[in-house]
Amino acid sequence: MKRNNLTRYILLYLASALFLIVFIGPFVWLVSSSLQLERQLVQVPTVWLPDPLSLASYKEIFYGAFFDESYVSADGYSSSYQARIYLGSFLNSGIIALSVSFFSVVFGAYAAYPIARLNFRGRYTLLFSILVVRLVPALALAIPIVLFAKKMGMNDNLVTLIFINMSFVLPYSIWLLQAYFKTIPTELEDAARMDGCNRFQVANKIIIPLSIPGLTTAGILAFLLSWGEFLFALLITETEQSFTSTVVAAMFATSLDVNYVTIIAAGVLAVIPPVLFALVFQKYIMSGLLSGAVKS
Amino acid sequence: MRAFAQNALSAMTKNPSTEIPQGRLALIFSAPALLILAVTVLVPLAYAIYLSFHRYNLKRAKRPFAGFRNYEKILTDDKFWDSLATSFIFAVSAVAVITVVSFFLALLLDQDYPGRGLLRALLLIPWAIPDVVNALLWKWLLHPAFGVMNALFQMGGLIDDYVAWLSSMPSAIIWVIIAYSWKNIPLATLLILAGLQTIPKTLHEAAELEGASAWKRTLYITLPLLRPTLTVVLIFETIFALKVFDLIYVLTSGGPGKATTVLGWSIYINTFKKLDFGTGSALAMILGLITLFIAIVFYAFLDRGEKQ
Repeated sequence: MKRNNLTRYILLYLASALFLIVFIGPFVWLVSSSLQLERQLVQVPTVWLPDPLSLASYKEIFYGAFFDESYVSADGYSSSYQARIYLGSFLNSGIIALSVSFFSVVFGAYAAYPIARLNFRGRYTLLFSILVVRLVPALALAIPIVLFAKKMGMNDNLVTLIFINMSFVLPYSIWLLQAYFKTIPTELEDAARMDGCNRFQVANKIIIPLSIPGLTTAGILAFLLSWGEFLFALLITETEQSFTSTVVAAMFATSLDVNYVTIIAAGVLAVIPPVLFALVFQKYIMSGLLSGAVKS
Repeated sequence: MRAFAQNALSAMTKNPSTEIPQGRLALIFSAPALLILAVTVLVPLAYAIYLSFHRYNLKRAKRPFAGFRNYEKILTDDKFWDSLATSFIFAVSAVAVITVVSFFLALLLDQDYPGRGLLRALLLIPWAIPDVVNALLWKWLLHPAFGVMNALFQMGGLIDDYVAWLSSMPSAIIWVIIAYSWKNIPLATLLILAGLQTIPKTLHEAAELEGASAWKRTLYITLPLLRPTLTVVLIFETIFALKVFDLIYVLTSGGPGKATTVLGWSIYINTFKKLDFGTGSALAMILGLITLFIAIVFYAFLDRGEKQ
C-alpha cells in the first residue's frame, strides 16, 4: 500500500511538472527574453538564461512615455511611434476597464434582482434572451456600430468603447449576479418587507450589501474581459487619445521596424496588469467562473 | 408616461397593497441594462440585417436594395467555402484539443495532493492574458530565426534547419490551433473541475471496493456523470472558436496564402479593407446563423441526455 502511494505521488508530480512546462513555460520564456540584451536575443544557438540580467529592453518604452519624444540611441536608432504611446494606452485601457466594471455591476445587479427574486411572466425568457445576445458574433455588430460611430462623431472615443464593452460584459454580470442573489435566504427579504420596505429598499439595503463578494467577482471578471477586448478597440480608435493597450500591442506584434527586445518588453508589460489582477483576486475569479458553471 | 411615473412613485411608498405589478417592476429594475443591450446589440443587429440585403460599398455613392444577391454571391464563391472549411477545421481541432486536455488536466487537479492549489492558481495566467498578447507571445516563440520552438525542436532532433512555422502549411494552422487552445484550456479545465466536484466521492469508493480499476471508474462513473458539463464546455468552446479573430490578426493575417483565412478574418477583410459592407454583413449573418444552429443542436443533445 505504501509503495502504491509513492508511485501515485511520483505520477502526480510528473504530470504537474509537464503541466507547468506547457502552460507556464511560454510565459516564463517571454519574461526571461525581456531581460536579455538585444544581441543575445537574436543569437543562434539560443541563449537560455539572460546574463547579465538587463532591463534595457524596457528603456525605449519608458523613455518614450516620460519624455514624449523619440529616444535616440548612440548608433542613431530612434524609438518607434508605438513605444512612445504605449504607456499612455494603458491609461485608456484602465479607464475603460474600470468604468465597464463599475457600470456593469450596478446595472447588472438591478437587472439580476428581479430575475432572482420576482415572480413574473417572461422571467426565463428575459434571462434567456439576455444570454442569447452573447451568441451574436461581434463582427456582425461591428459593421453597423462603426458606421454609426463615424456618422455621430463618436469614433476615436473612450465613451463609445465603454458602451460597447458593456454589451459583452452585461450578460455575464447578470447571469452571475442572479445566481448569487438566489443564495441569499428569502427570510431576510420577507422580514424587511414585513417592516414596510418596498422592493427598491430591499434591493438596496438587503440584497446588495449582502452580495459584496458576488458583486466583486462580477466586477473583476468585467475588468479582465474589457481589458483584453481588441476587435472594437481596433475599429473605433484612431489616434493615441483612445488607443487601448491591446491595439498598441498588436501594432508592436505586426510591425517589422521595431527592435525585438522592445516588442517582447511590450508583451510583458501588457501581461502584467491582467495576470497580477487575476492572481491577486484568484479566489473571487474561481468562485465566479464556477458558480456560472454549476448553474448552467 | 404619467402612469409610469405614478407606478414608480407607488413603488417608493411603503404600503405593499399599492405595489406595482411584479412584471412592470422587473422592467423598471432592468431598464438601464436592457437599454444598453438594445442600443449596442439589437439596433446594430437589425441594421446589419438591413445592410446584408443591400449593395453597400463605401467606395460607391448608390446603395440599392439587392435582395438575396449578396448571399447568392457569397454562396457561389469558392473563397467562402474555403474559409468556411478552414473555420470548421480550426474549430473542430481546437475544441477537440481543448476538451481532451482539459478533461485530463481537471482529473489531475481533482486529486488531493500538496501543491494542487498553486497549480490551480497558475492556471489563471494563460486565461488572463489578452488574445492579442497571447498572439504576440506565440509569434515570438515561433520566430523563424530566433524562436525557442525552433531551438527546442532542433535539439530534440525533430527538425534539421529552422522552420518558418507561420508561413508554411500545414504548420501555420496547427500552431494557430495550439496557440488558441493554450489560452482556452484553463477556463475549460476549471469548468470541468467544477463538474467533477459535484460527483459524490462515495460512488468512486464503492466501485473501488468492488475492485474497479481507476481507468474503469473514470470510464463508467466520471464520464457519464460529467456529460452535462462536457456538453456545456463543447457548446461554448465551439461558439467561441468559430468567432476567432484576434489571434489570426496578429499571428498570420489569414496567411500563408489563404491557409488560415477563417470566416471572422474574411468578414474583416471584406468589410474594413474592401469596404464592401453589404457582403461583409451577409457573411456575418451566415456566421451568426451557423453559430445559432450549432448552439441549438448541442442544446437538444444536452436536453435529450438529461431526459434519459
